[in-house]
Amino acid sequence: MTTTRSALAASIDPAAETALDELLLSMADDEFVIGFSDSEWTGIAPILEEDIAMSSLAQDELGHARAIYELLAEVRGDGQTADTIAYDREPAEYRHARLLDHGRGDWAMTIARRYLYDTADGSRLEGLATSSFAPLRELVDKIRREERYHVMHATTWLERLARYPGEPRDRITASLDELAPDAATVFTPLDGEALLVEAGVLAEPMAALEARWRATITPVFVGLDLPMPPAGPLDGGRTTHGEQFGWLWGEFTSVRRSDPGAIW
Amino acid sequence: MTDQSPPDRDLDPTSDGDGRTLEPWEVFRREKDGDPMRHGGSVMAPDAVLAVHYARELYGRRQESVALWVVRRADIHDLADPDLLQPPLDRSFKKPGGYVMRDKLAAARQQSGQAKPKARSSRPTRPAEKADR
Repeated sequence: MTTTRSALAASIDPAAETALDELLLSMADDEFVIGFSDSEWTGIAPILEEDIAMSSLAQDELGHARAIYELLAEVRGDGQTADTIAYDREPAEYRHARLLDHGRGDWAMTIARRYLYDTADGSRLEGLATSSFAPLRELVDKIRREERYHVMHATTWLERLARYPGEPRDRITASLDELAPDAATVFTPLDGEALLVEAGVLAEPMAALEARWRATITPVFVGLDLPMPPAGPLDGGRTTHGEQFGWLWGEFTSVRRSDPGAIW
Repeated sequence: MTDQSPPDRDLDPTSDGDGRTLEPWEVFRREKDGDPMRHGGSVMAPDAVLAVHYARELYGRRQESVALWVVRRADIHDLADPDLLQPPLDRSFKKPGGYVMRDKLAAARQQSGQAKPKARSSRPTRPAEKADR
């Protein structure tokens, strides 16, 4: 089935279309970048079982990214595909949250990032669960059912690392400290998000979703005696990417760039 | 049926395993509703919660199971003593095949004038079990 741009875009306020594009792109880029980062554990995770678990989680995220990129391609209706959007951009054009720009790091860093991201993503998805944009609402419903396990997995590990004194606790606190300034960047306000809220695409502004996220994770942080990530301005939270991302971009585009335009 | 109701385990991480040492957990899986639980394999994990996570990933991530049981191997009561299971004396008389009923049944039927009952046509089949062999 092919849906023309006008048919798909007709279901939302035309004024909100640019903001919708930005929302979808930011969500897909988040899932793509964390999925690709975590796939770096394949073959070297702490134990075989965790290797398979982390690789499977990474695959889930890439699957979500693909589905969102496909929806975005359909909304744009200009001949782009999930692959061209995912791979054919310069590093500065990616819109993932800066939380995901800290490099793979050690296992504790991976767990800290996963926990912060998965819980934040959960709050964002909650804000889309009753979206007036039906294709997104239906996709979000499916994604949320998989993300439930992701949060379980991340929480299980966060609790274990934080509860065992010595190296496990030292490493997880150091990782959370490093990520703290960027922890909430998933909620970086989108240009024109007020239009999305008005059109019913998004239930609440990002700031309100961030407040929900903080309310969700506070009991966990308090229970584990960990400092909550500070609230603060999120300027450039999706537009300023560091050197780490430049390296990652080089990795995930290397095959595609080796033979531009090839059909794989 | 007890087989249909999984044990209601408390997934408190301190309930099983010491949380530090990896130990084996046996995973049983149900392939589809109505099937019995069958042994799938094992995972190594430091506690029950992670054992269940890993069981899900190793025996369920491709939607090949509708239910899993995860049992700490140390909690399984083992019996593999050959004296108890494979004694050396001839025990063929304990098998039903060692005592042929066919002729006796036929004679009894003839005496009482009853016909041989028809084979049940709706015998339940278990395709999954066949496939295992």
